[in-house]
Amino acid sequence: MERNSFKSDGKEEKEGFSEISLRPLHLSDVDDFMEWAKDDRVSRFCSWDTCTSREDAVKYIKETVIPHPWFRAICINNRPVGQISVLSYPGEYRCRGELGYAIAPKYWGQGIATKAVKLVASSIFSDWPHLERLEALVDVANPASQRILEKLGFQKEGVLRKFYIKNERTIDVVMYSFLSTDHML
Amino acid sequence: MERDSSKSDENEKEEEFSDISLRPLDLSDVDDFMVWATDDRVSRFCRWNTYTSKEDAVNYIKNTVIPHPWFKAICIKNRPIGAISVIPNSGEDSCRGEIGYLVASKYWGQGIATKAVKMVASTIFSEWPNLERLEALVDVENPGSQRVLEKAGFQKEGVLRKYCIQKGSTRDMVVLSLLSTDPKL
Repeated sequence: MERNSFKSDGKEEKEGFSEISLRPLHLSDVDDFMEWAKDDRVSRFCSWDTCTSREDAVKYIKETVIPHPWFRAICINNRPVGQISVLSYPGEYRCRGELGYAIAPKYWGQGIATKAVKLVASSIFSDWPHLERLEALVDVANPASQRILEKLGFQKEGVLRKFYIKNERTIDVVMYSFLSTDHML
Repeated sequence: MERDSSKSDENEKEEEFSDISLRPLDLSDVDDFMVWATDDRVSRFCRWNTYTSKEDAVNYIKNTVIPHPWFKAICIKNRPIGAISVIPNSGEDSCRGEIGYLVASKYWGQGIATKAVKMVASTIFSEWPNLERLEALVDVENPGSQRVLEKAGFQKEGVLRKYCIQKGSTRDMVVLSLLSTDPKL
């Protein structure tokens, strides 16, 4: 399950890096990947645990990233500074995809996650014609990530109480969605 | 089966059948099962399509009901007139379980589903100590079922737009939950 982890300090409007790109993440990107994967401040709001070793990171890339239905590195000058992904569901839930993203803390506060989410939301419905709903579940304690989605036009649908377990605590999440018929702001 | 389909109207005769009981459903109950399984009004808001053969019903009981983690027939004088079930989750989602129920249409309007839900709500958290959240997804066009849950103490958390596909179209679903810590009504 994807969990949104981007957290910014509120000063997001600086356009320091206006050109971001999305591309697949490879094993050769492992050291850049570690920049955010080993950081507790990032994993805090994610479903995955902090990577404590390069081996863990390699394993995660092999077992989760490479077979993933839709996983991209967020890059500046082709160097990964974060990740963004959409998880798909089978059967009666195939109309839904769950969005998740994470950025290395060094790059927080520059609007990078906002740009990445905007890129994904404007292309995923063409990539996946059966998709009608892009959703994101954000920890109630992560208002910065909530603001990203609200600014882009995601609709807040409600708070799902005690929805999942992270580090032995049950977490309340805010549910957001963006439909193929909604307008990106 | 985890879609709430019980529909009760405003004029519920609450105590006409005060004694409902819950027990496992087995193969010998197949004829009672067929009464609701062949009824379009019941299947309308359920995942499954109206049954047309007893063989299909027998297979469903064998393959889905009997191995189910928590599935009970709702009975009046030990005769099944509906069913109620809870689906658990695993791993980081094990704090959540999804409740679903149905009642044969002949018995609508008598508060039976409400009683059955209350009975489950009063025992499931002891039976499953890891469970903290009992949730239900109800079609927006099924206000009777929403009322059943609200009367049993569930809280409406929001509407999830285009959340799942049922009977060939994407549906908006109301999400309601009852926590182990909520007051039981």
